[in-house]
Amino acid sequence: MIKKAKVIPEEYIPEVNSRTVTIEDKNYLLQNDAMFTFYERAAGEFSAFFLAIRDEKRILGCKCTKCGLVRVPPMLTHCPDCDFAPTELLEVGQVGRMLSTPPITYFATSMFLDKAPFGRGRVVLEGADTALSVMLYTTTGILVPGIIRKDTEVKVIFRDERVGAVTDIFCVPASELSPDQVTKKGLQESELNWAAPVEPQYPKASDKDIAVYKQCLKEMQILASEMSGSKRARKAIEGWKRDIAVKTKGGDFAMYIDDGDFRIEEKKLGSPDFVMACEDPGTLLDGLQYKGAITDSVIARKLWISKNMEFTTIFKLDRLARFLAREKKEQGAK
Amino acid sequence: MAKKFTGRKVGIVGAASTPFKAKWYEKTYYELGQMATREAIKDAAISIKDVDAVAYGIYNDIFERSAIPEHPLQGIIGMANKPGIRVTNGGATGIYTLAAAYAFIASGMHDTMLVLGVEKATDCFDFTSMSATPEVIKTIAWSGDCWFEQKIGWSASDSYAEVILAYMDEHPGDLKPEVTAQISSQLSMQARSNPYAQRQFDQVTPEEVMNSRYIVYPLKELEICVYTEGASALIIAEEETAKSIAQNSGKPVVWITGIGEANEWSYAGKNQNHWGRIYSHHMAAQKAYEMAGIKNPLEEIDVVEIHDAFIQQLEISMAEMGFVPLGRADDLVEEGIMMPGGKLSVNPSGGLIYSGHAVGASNIMSAWSARNEIINKGLRRGLVHGTGSTICQYGGVAILEHD
Repeated sequence: MIKKAKVIPEEYIPEVNSRTVTIEDKNYLLQNDAMFTFYERAAGEFSAFFLAIRDEKRILGCKCTKCGLVRVPPMLTHCPDCDFAPTELLEVGQVGRMLSTPPITYFATSMFLDKAPFGRGRVVLEGADTALSVMLYTTTGILVPGIIRKDTEVKVIFRDERVGAVTDIFCVPASELSPDQVTKKGLQESELNWAAPVEPQYPKASDKDIAVYKQCLKEMQILASEMSGSKRARKAIEGWKRDIAVKTKGGDFAMYIDDGDFRIEEKKLGSPDFVMACEDPGTLLDGLQYKGAITDSVIARKLWISKNMEFTTIFKLDRLARFLAREKKEQGAK
Repeated sequence: MAKKFTGRKVGIVGAASTPFKAKWYEKTYYELGQMATREAIKDAAISIKDVDAVAYGIYNDIFERSAIPEHPLQGIIGMANKPGIRVTNGGATGIYTLAAAYAFIASGMHDTMLVLGVEKATDCFDFTSMSATPEVIKTIAWSGDCWFEQKIGWSASDSYAEVILAYMDEHPGDLKPEVTAQISSQLSMQARSNPYAQRQFDQVTPEEVMNSRYIVYPLKELEICVYTEGASALIIAEEETAKSIAQNSGKPVVWITGIGEANEWSYAGKNQNHWGRIYSHHMAAQKAYEMAGIKNPLEEIDVVEIHDAFIQQLEISMAEMGFVPLGRADDLVEEGIMMPGGKLSVNPSGGLIYSGHAVGASNIMSAWSARNEIINKGLRRGLVHGTGSTICQYGGVAILEHD
């Protein structure tokens, strides 16, 4: 029998523990804790919508018997605009257009850290009047602004494993699919051609590239030691541990994050937690100097990371830079 | 459509706030609530025994880790055996709490009330990333539509970003990054004079704002409010009581002359939420203006304490409330309206981006700041604004006037 996933994944659950912080010679207690409730939740009038997605790969809406407005999802049984005239369920199309340009989440909530970056937007499916909220992906790699905009045609894709929830579907731009795929009903994720992450390769370094690399490395090492010595900056990487292999055109190095300590060494790492690659090491130096976010370098494809989940670490590096800059500024201001 | 208002006159006679901090290790929300109450009573120079009832603004049960978080406060703040009601309306909790208390007094039910907003937002902690913020925003994300949106990554930021992008689709030349950066920088300068601001000494340049990282496209880190912990309180009273309290305290009454609220559809598309607009803020402002007799807000209002969850939303909301035309919200900066020497003081407290967003307390902190500005600078009128729920669904506006 297949072991089913838990409603709360194991890794989210902290140990029973506590710690003490001291502020102005007084001790204060912090306790690990949780507030949790389990449900066996009735999908009620939405059952037909979720069952149609799960079992038939169809999308349902509801149509007011008086004004004819077609609402997707079918969020009500009677139309409030028509003195509660009844609505009827009907099937709508699986292609639609974006109601507006969708946002892209880079810094996600703790439950979506492993899914970022992702888009979420509203699609008006063929035959519908209202918009359905959907997760949005591109088959071409990381979703960046400009790929999906207002009026972009998108296609509903069904997950291979469906549980009867809104997560069973998502959308991709129709332009990334073949004409047959666009017209096919119930198209599944495994039928798409997903681009695999490929580590960038750089041309052989010139003497100048190597000199630039050496200079950047030196400056980054100085910054790293300042960060390790800054009370505020240390907070950005408190409790965090990562060994990162960094590849640039001029040479490779290693970044070590270890519970407040930040170190950079000229060394090739054998088994890093993840790999960062950027042709110009100045991209990273700028980020650490708080002259442009490292996050944005990833979005702009100037910096490549081997695991999307490590966006969390990228955010921490950005915070490290900001916290050091802020500490210097606040010392000046006070 | 408009209903003539027939209630009693209501005024603010006392106000206070605790410092807003990223985390209060030293105090629980019980103590923060009492702290703000003690200070507000002191400000009004009355006894807690003179207060008839309390309205609590506490947004999120999960933050406080109790499903009726106000219940321990009743005794702790000295209000045992008196009426107490809790209001929770998402980000707009504070403004709605003020409106509820206002209605109790205007109706003649009570003469003097305490309006107490409190939130302990950053006890939440994510042990996988070893930081608070992802868990804080997850806690807020439990506020999204539980069938169709929570499970696909709905968050407060992404739902406001949707509205902002829909506006930008309609008005591509507005909300320019250089302008949002200038506004954020300006607010950071203003926070310098608010001793209770979480980021009192975090003055940023427009360049730093432009360079800050994307959180949710198109929103950057220094364009977004920061979650904070704190409490704010107001003492409000009917006309005769207010006048006698003011005589004793030596501080003029600041009258609440207009109140308006509106909640839109939470879904989008034909005949649903007004997409590309923040119509809830427009409707709330129109109702409040009508009640206060305001015809031209830019000429008649001197200070605005707006709920700036995001700089771009601040700009759109200012347009929706009639201070600049829709599509030309950048006039706030380009015409100098909210810049030093401009017609309007906008968020002298630093707003929620620099003073901090202690959700249930935020709009009450804004009212505290607007009241201080009106009294200390002898201004005529102020506007306090609140926004909340998915896609800026809720809006609330209060008009404050010098005696």
